[in-house]
Amino acid sequence: MRGLLASVRFALVAAGQNFTRNLAVSMAGVFTMGLIMLLVGGTILLTHTVDAILNQQEAQADEIHIYLQDSLSMRTIADYEQRFAHDARVNGVSFTTKDQAVILAQQRGLQLQSAINTLGSNPLPASIDLHVRNLNDLTQLNSVAKSLPIVDTSSGSATDYSPHVIPVLKTVITWTVWVGTILSIVLGVISLVIIMNTIRTAVYIRRTEIEIMKLVGAGDWFVRWPFILEGVFGGVLAAAFGATIVALAYRFVLDQANTQAFLGVSFDGPFLTALVVLLVVFGAALGGFGSFLGIRRFLHV
Amino acid sequence: MSLAAVMPPEVGQRPDPGQRPVISFHGVSKTYANGTEAIRDVDLAIYQGDFCFVVGASGSGKTTLVRLLIREEAASSGRIFIDGHETTRMSRRRLPKLRRKFGIVFQDYKLLPKLTVAQNVAFALQVTRPGQRHMKEKVEETLWIVGLEDKLTKFPDELSGGEQQRVAIARALVHRPRIFLADEPTGNLDPDTSWGIVQLLLQINHRGTTVLMATHNREIVDLCRRRVIAIDSGRVVRDEAEGGYLREGEATI
Ligand SMILES: Nc1ncnc2c1ncn2[C@@H]1O[C@H](COP(=O)(O)OP(=O)(O)O)[C@@H](O)[C@H]1O
Ligand SMILES: [Mg+2]
Repeated sequence: MRGLLASVRFALVAAGQNFTRNLAVSMAGVFTMGLIMLLVGGTILLTHTVDAILNQQEAQADEIHIYLQDSLSMRTIADYEQRFAHDARVNGVSFTTKDQAVILAQQRGLQLQSAINTLGSNPLPASIDLHVRNLNDLTQLNSVAKSLPIVDTSSGSATDYSPHVIPVLKTVITWTVWVGTILSIVLGVISLVIIMNTIRTAVYIRRTEIEIMKLVGAGDWFVRWPFILEGVFGGVLAAAFGATIVALAYRFVLDQANTQAFLGVSFDGPFLTALVVLLVVFGAALGGFGSFLGIRRFLHV
Repeated sequence: MSLAAVMPPEVGQRPDPGQRPVISFHGVSKTYANGTEAIRDVDLAIYQGDFCFVVGASGSGKTTLVRLLIREEAASSGRIFIDGHETTRMSRRRLPKLRRKFGIVFQDYKLLPKLTVAQNVAFALQVTRPGQRHMKEKVEETLWIVGLEDKLTKFPDELSGGEQQRVAIARALVHRPRIFLADEPTGNLDPDTSWGIVQLLLQINHRGTTVLMATHNREIVDLCRRRVIAIDSGRVVRDEAEGGYLREGEATI
């Protein structure tokens, strides 16, 4: 136990010395690896966020809102509701009154009260809302709905759905995943080369020490551990650096997106935490493995 | 010209015929990867408590012999036994244990410049027996043996060459090895200082440690009249119990 503690202490101190005696090379390595972590983390987070936007859009996209003229009787509206309810392409039909439309709009953050006060009446139309069973039927159903005599043609579009953005987002995700994966692999290999090179320098600086350790009969692992730890330490530091920037950038970009574009994507704390943990573990593993390769190549023990 | 070509090797004195040698070589040869035959068909037996000089010109194979002993190099053929264990077949995993039987010093002292005298000596214990108790006492006692008890906190570059070699000796001695190897330990030192170092090695030998010193310092070998193993072109050409640097009556240059 005493021996183990002393060994661990020796390895930690030696690893710290490796790192600091060679500070310029170590920091350059950490910085480069940090950028790599940043890219990997950024890619993962981007994919996740685009995916979240897509899910949100997709949830809305199976709805067609048919905005109604104000003068319709409840009976007429009920008739049309019935007609859509019997349509095989439609999954569900609901009715939103003018008052409910105001509440929904307010929930989405629109300030309407002053407009209502100025106008003296509620400008939002009531709507029949269709849940479409299959997204491929959206366009067709929409054109049917648009030509109905009940629709409100006075303002903007008579109906409302958003099918175009979805395939675009799906392409974005596919590309991000591909580019991200290839980039991560290439950058991972570059990291390994950087780490191996740092270990080469560290071994060179420590050559007399290593020679003496072998001569007096230190075990192979006793000689190896300081270098492995140096790699792990550097990897964790790089991951922390990359993760911090990713987290800050995530916060900033989301704030901008939400204030300026009403994207309505919420800050995903648990996902970010998991990502940071993943990056740190990945950094430690990459650092340790790079050192191991460096040791095999340059240490000859 | 090779001496081996003209003269058969003589055999050194064996203190007790029944005793097992602490070091023995049986037909050992070493050819380096580049084809240099550094050691050729060497037979040797060294007993516990021996003090041997290994003499020979530069390039004759003294250092290679030392490297074979600690298995820093593997023999190309033949068998080497240390303390009854055949090291020529030993697995890598057991090398640390083998090396701990030896203490070894070189012409360049190989001290760590950023550590003090005491830390340099303690280093050998820290990396082989981490967490060992009474480390400080052992280090100080060993530095007292080599006469540096008042230099514990000095750094190597504050010491003379002879003192630095004493620190190296203390580091090699601190784990109380059975066999002490010195490869040209006086190569960088003036005659007086060299003599002091040899006195120290004799004193270590006097405490029971087997000592092997490779050298081409003629005065020292001639003054000591100890066992001399002469090597020429990788062959043992002479093995005398109380020899000089050159064979009796041989021409001096
Ligand atoms: N690592 C090596 N590779 C190839 N040849 C070597 C190596 N080390 C020593 N030699 C050669 O082996 C011979 C013996 O060298 P060495 O044992 O160092 O002699 P000494 O110590 O007596 O000067 C020399 O010819 C030397 O050039
Ligand atoms: Mg030599």
